[in-house]
Amino acid sequence: MPNWLSDALSELRYRFRAIFRKRAVEHDLDEELHFHIEQEARKLEASGLSPDEALRQASIAFGGIERIKDDTRDVSGVSWLEILLQDFRYAARGLRARPAFTASVIITLGLGIGANVAMFGIVDQLLIRPPAYLRDPSRVHRIYLTSVSDGRDVTDGFTEYARYLDFARYTKTLDAIAVLAGNQFAVGIGEDAKEMPVGVVSASFWSFFDAKPAIGRYFTASEDSIPTGSPVAVLSYAFWQTRFGGSPDVLGRTLQIGPVPCTIIGVAAPGFVGLPDEGSPAAFIPATLYGYGVSSSRGRVDYYSTYNWGWLSIMVRRKPNVSIEAANADLTNAYRLSWAAERAISRNTSPVEVARPRAVAGPVVLERGPNATPVARIALWIAGVATIVLVIACANVANLLLARALFRRREIALRMALGAGQRRLFAQLLTESLLLGTLGGMAGIVTAQWGGAILRSLFLSDVATADVVRDVRTLAFAGAAALVAGLMTGLVPALQAGRAALAPALKTGTRDGTYQRSRTRTMLLVLQGAMSVLLLVGAGLFVRSLHNVRSMRLGYDVDPVLYVHLNLRGMRLPPDERAELARRLVEAARAIPEVESAARGISVPFWSTEGLGFLVPGVDSVRRLGHFTVQMASADYFTTTGTRILKGRGFTEGDRADGALVAVVSQGMADAVWPGKDAIGQCIKIDRVTDPCRQVVGIAENIHQNSLTESQTLQYYLSIEQMRPNEANVFIRTRGNASAHAETVRRTLQKLMPGAAYVTATPMREIIDSRQRSWQLGATMFLLFGALALVLAAVGLYSVIAYGVAQRTQEIGVRIALGAGMSDVVRLVLGQGLRFAALGILVGGGAAMWASRWVGPLLFSVSPKDPAVYGTVAVVLLAAAIFASAIPAVRASRVDPNVALRSE
Amino acid sequence: MEDQKLDLPQGTLDLLILKAVSLGPMHGWAISERIRDVSKATLQIPQGSLYPALHRLERRGWISAEWGASDNNRRAKYYQLTRSGRSQLQAEADAWKTLTVAVSLVLDMG
Repeated sequence: MPNWLSDALSELRYRFRAIFRKRAVEHDLDEELHFHIEQEARKLEASGLSPDEALRQASIAFGGIERIKDDTRDVSGVSWLEILLQDFRYAARGLRARPAFTASVIITLGLGIGANVAMFGIVDQLLIRPPAYLRDPSRVHRIYLTSVSDGRDVTDGFTEYARYLDFARYTKTLDAIAVLAGNQFAVGIGEDAKEMPVGVVSASFWSFFDAKPAIGRYFTASEDSIPTGSPVAVLSYAFWQTRFGGSPDVLGRTLQIGPVPCTIIGVAAPGFVGLPDEGSPAAFIPATLYGYGVSSSRGRVDYYSTYNWGWLSIMVRRKPNVSIEAANADLTNAYRLSWAAERAISRNTSPVEVARPRAVAGPVVLERGPNATPVARIALWIAGVATIVLVIACANVANLLLARALFRRREIALRMALGAGQRRLFAQLLTESLLLGTLGGMAGIVTAQWGGAILRSLFLSDVATADVVRDVRTLAFAGAAALVAGLMTGLVPALQAGRAALAPALKTGTRDGTYQRSRTRTMLLVLQGAMSVLLLVGAGLFVRSLHNVRSMRLGYDVDPVLYVHLNLRGMRLPPDERAELARRLVEAARAIPEVESAARGISVPFWSTEGLGFLVPGVDSVRRLGHFTVQMASADYFTTTGTRILKGRGFTEGDRADGALVAVVSQGMADAVWPGKDAIGQCIKIDRVTDPCRQVVGIAENIHQNSLTESQTLQYYLSIEQMRPNEANVFIRTRGNASAHAETVRRTLQKLMPGAAYVTATPMREIIDSRQRSWQLGATMFLLFGALALVLAAVGLYSVIAYGVAQRTQEIGVRIALGAGMSDVVRLVLGQGLRFAALGILVGGGAAMWASRWVGPLLFSVSPKDPAVYGTVAVVLLAAAIFASAIPAVRASRVDPNVALRSE
Repeated sequence: MEDQKLDLPQGTLDLLILKAVSLGPMHGWAISERIRDVSKATLQIPQGSLYPALHRLERRGWISAEWGASDNNRRAKYYQLTRSGRSQLQAEADAWKTLTVAVSLVLDMG
């Protein structure tokens, strides 16, 4: 330890003892001095004096013991630590004396800091923090595969098992390579069966993490081997706790996952989720087991030797000392070799020279890679918004402190007159605002803990998240935010106070005859107004987007419709029995009182669409008109989904297998295939020319199948009875909102399912909402933060105007005495508030215009410069300004000139 | 005959104390006795400044204090030199020697 450091430490130790152990120090000093006198007395005694006399002489020789004590105490002097403590006590006393002021500051800062802490937690989780338990995160990557397709670079989300084997074989720069996929599976059987995310991983996956299994073990390479894999499962810790109560005897038990009964061999470490691409998995199963299960149900177990089925992503760890560039070159080389291997067996594959396959070792978390969803981008936006809210909150508090500093001018001037240095004063005011910042930070942590749960559920619905309170990184951020807020709010008033002129302040006191405008405070007010305008414009744009996207006719109803999906879990039923099962489900559904109607169909918008080759006599190659989709539906289908029949009729009970063959086409298809002619009565043939004519009996409105922005106009409907597909699902229309009845319906229908098969009932709203999530997020967040900003700005305006009125009491009294009416006074005060608001609208509106080009792409059929939004926001801000200045205005108009003029 | 006593020049008290405790842990009384004995009673530390000085040196970190038992088994506060105190003593002693040599050179001139 260097000398200066040990010196500083000993000083610190001495100080702490002197301050916090005052009595002990006093006692020690007393004992030390008395010991000295006794020693002296002993010496005198030895030279022949009586004990009493010796003590007396020794005491006299020593001198005044109290004076020596004083001198010794003085050595310690007043240290910076004691000054700090003194300032702290002074600040705390001052804050306690004004509870209303203190509370409003703490709440304001708490909201501002809380919003930021909550958003930091989310952004950190989405974009910054490496996944839990990952070993050497800097060397771990996910592979992103890019190739040229149709003249464009396409970066694939998923790839094939065979590709994984190629990468493992051809690369030289990797330490480890693993397969990683996620899927929803039904876990458990009977009523307990529930769809849950399940991790599908190779045995090598476990070597990427430093996470010992809680009990049992992870699966090994021999249990994850081509072709079949072994039916084993590792549970997640959370699932083990909730489903099995953490009982250690789960090992060896069987758990049905999807179609396979798996033996439980272990439980992963607490909090271990792997890479939670699609939620925190309930369990993990071997990649080969899944590959085998899916490909065997398709009839060909070739998932490891062909390149037809891309379902996984690849995770790698670079060898130490291998640069990312070197790894990329190695990976690209392997990808080219793999591409050539694919081309050798699949002639459709374009040559390497054309496809130019490239592989890049990118971020291991999908949201940070090239295929990230807009959620992360929106989260960043919202984090920026939260920062703005904090700036507003700080401006507000700074304003309050400034106003208070003016009230305290006399006190401050007095202290300066008594010899307090500017630096001391500055330090004192800064201590006060830092104390406020700290208290605000604590309030912020509480806010983030409670309010943050809502935000987290919006952004990270599936991902396991840590508590704010238990998360060190988030807490550290909260501390930093509190410190910055304290400094930001404290610096301006502290600097101003330091400049205060002594004499005039002492003479006039707080009730100053003249009203003094502070340029700083005006600027802060305008800034707040402008920030609120900016956020409210954002809110308005997103709310309109959301409204547009929600009120857009999708070609079917959303709120009253439930989609019931049948999952047979690998059970093979002949098409007839399967159709019979679906028919029974429809009947059972119709018997439920809340159900209005029910029908069968095979596909559902946004989840699955079907295509089928068909031809139209007299029309040359319908394919060139575009991509056609088909729905196979039963009677009542159109009334159930709400898709309108524009002409002709929908399917009825009369459309039976042995009846006349019928079809319904969409408006878009009718226009495209039979332009200028009536589509009703035309003929469609499925697959072959020899297929009999299916006569078009109705025209339905266009529907949105895959995209909210574009409708799939080329759609046709065939009778499910006449097509006999081996897939059948159920649509149900309920009275009122379908979400409320989903569970009732599911339970009723589940009773009819044979064996381990089960149904899921999903409200259409849920399916659509996931597509509208980005607008919903934007609208919710901007509205939330915009409202927060507006309230803060209004409170800020109120406090400043109220303060101004209090200061101008005398002037107003004079005006009233000179004959100004009540309305004149009200106008005077209101006008002041409105001027601030108008300036805020100008500045904020300008800023919003400027930012519009970045917001534009996130909106839905709303111009980022939508005049209605800007107009509404302007009105809202003016209203808030009137509201904020009305109370002080009324108070001003009631000033009694007699009292006001005499008061000085 | 009265003891011949000298007023200590400014700053020498610290030097004397540091030197005294450099020989081993010592309590306040022993320090003043030691200095008086060694200086043949020429230097007598005023009791009024000894303890403030000890506390000042302790605060600076040049000496450290510890409670221990005295030879007659009483609780006594023992001071001893710290590492940084040792280098401080070295520096001050050197300065003192340089000063005294210089001063005697000047006094001896002419």
